[in-house]
Amino acid sequence: MDVKKLSKLTKWMETTDLEEITWRSGEDKISLKLNNNPEHTTTISSTLEPVLAPSIGIFRFARPGKTNHLKEGASVKRGQELGVVEVGKDFKSVTAPENGLLKIISIEDGKPVEYGQPMFFLEPK
Amino acid sequence: MFKKVLIANRGEIAIRIIRTLREMNIGSVSVYSQADHSSLHVRLADESVCIGPAMARESYLSIPAIIAAAKITGADAIHPGYGFLSENADFSAACRDNGITFIGPSPKSIQQLGHKAEARKMAVKAGIPVTPGTKDCVYKDAAAQAAKIGYPIMIKAAAGGGGKGIRIVRAAGQLANEMNIAQSESKAAFGNGDVYFEKYIELPRHIEVQFARDSHGNVIAFPERDCSIQRRHQKLVEESPSPAVDKKLRASLEEAAVKLAEAANYVGVGTVEFLLTQTGEFYFMEVNTRLQVEHPVTEYITGFDLVKEQFLAAAGEKLSYTGGHTVPHQGHCIEHRINAEDFTRNFAPSVGRVEEWILPGGPGIRIDTHVYSGYNLPVYYDSMLAKLIVWGPDRASAVARSRRALEDFKVKGIKTTIEAHKLIVESAGFQAGKTDTGFMERLLAPAEPVKA
Repeated sequence: MDVKKLSKLTKWMETTDLEEITWRSGEDKISLKLNNNPEHTTTISSTLEPVLAPSIGIFRFARPGKTNHLKEGASVKRGQELGVVEVGKDFKSVTAPENGLLKIISIEDGKPVEYGQPMFFLEPK
Repeated sequence: MFKKVLIANRGEIAIRIIRTLREMNIGSVSVYSQADHSSLHVRLADESVCIGPAMARESYLSIPAIIAAAKITGADAIHPGYGFLSENADFSAACRDNGITFIGPSPKSIQQLGHKAEARKMAVKAGIPVTPGTKDCVYKDAAAQAAKIGYPIMIKAAAGGGGKGIRIVRAAGQLANEMNIAQSESKAAFGNGDVYFEKYIELPRHIEVQFARDSHGNVIAFPERDCSIQRRHQKLVEESPSPAVDKKLRASLEEAAVKLAEAANYVGVGTVEFLLTQTGEFYFMEVNTRLQVEHPVTEYITGFDLVKEQFLAAAGEKLSYTGGHTVPHQGHCIEHRINAEDFTRNFAPSVGRVEEWILPGGPGIRIDTHVYSGYNLPVYYDSMLAKLIVWGPDRASAVARSRRALEDFKVKGIKTTIEAHKLIVESAGFQAGKTDTGFMERLLAPAEPVKA
């Protein structure tokens, strides 16, 4: 079996939901097994760092009685409070993990968030 | 009736509850920890919310996180399942304070019946037999007090726990000596030598009665479940009815459960646990104020949906049956708890990826599970994989079905207790219905001489 045939075969296999095949042709025999472990097949690389919700709750840009005028593109410092997640009577602080630029704000004031939900994306500098 | 119910649990019980909700046309919300994002309860519910990290304390046990999830999703009730927050009076109260219905009894009932000493007092008041013993610590007249209870007795440390300071006395002649040992053991372990006496019940059966009561005063006591097959106080096999209970005893057990539910003004489903002696006397042990793991055996022989009865009671409606305290039952049901444990290695927990998961089926089989082929078992939670529940028109046919179903149950990738259940089913003692709380110990130690 030549490499051309083999690459054709693997390409075709990727279009199906088969995990494993055995191919026989005359003296030739080959078994292919798809590595579909998601940890190995997908690698996402990005220079942006997500800021995740520290708790389930309601997101607020500022604590009660305070204001906060964060805008996309703003420069933030490590440890700076970007907002809070209100859960019961508690306010969990959301802080910038690095110095950087706030590239994306993916949350609105007063919206519910799940634990671990990305709310901001930061470009460290 | 409720519009949307949040399930504050995971695993098979979350799925069990979703199924009833769907049949009742009520919306369902699953909550999950980060370790459970690929769990089946997340996929089966109408909505799912991630409430925290893997550690249960910060997710499934976090009252603020669960209340927040209910508010965000607009759920008007929370079902706690079993374990986690199901018997937590603070959680029940937090639900009430946030205008959310807790599917379970009131915080007061949970406190009263969940506290062993309080529950015992209530049982005495309701005229239910409790294990005989001295009410207070024994300082003098030990011989007379012991004789009054009747040998064998147990000497227990008042400050005790963990089996320390417990001595079993079989005859009056040993009392003084054992009392000395118990007192000094207790003093060494707890800094307090106070002891009290309790009747020692040799190889009892664990019998429990499921009951349901609504706010209109309707009470049902269901036929008893026999949960004698245990290992280190963990139930492995449950069956209903019990091979050791006849009609007359059943009536007494059910009457006791009804009395207790009424005395506590209990609304919801609950279970009274009893110890049954070899000679047929029963003693109150404790009350579980939640839905229990083994509830399906009762459902199978009576045709009730106990989760539905919970919703009815919690919504202030009447139970689905209001024609009296007892209900008819048919046939025999056995439940096998299939855990991810290696029983050849002293039931050590087994984790990993479930490579193959082939379930038995056919007549008389019900399986409650959250596991599927390819499921990765998280290490953070309990080891239960599935409940295999079999029914037969009589006990012998149910046992035959158990044997067949266990044979059909194929699991690869992790170790399970299926083989231990096969051993149980094949044993002459189980087949004859002769089980007690010492059954597993004898079964797993065949080299030792069998004690009567």
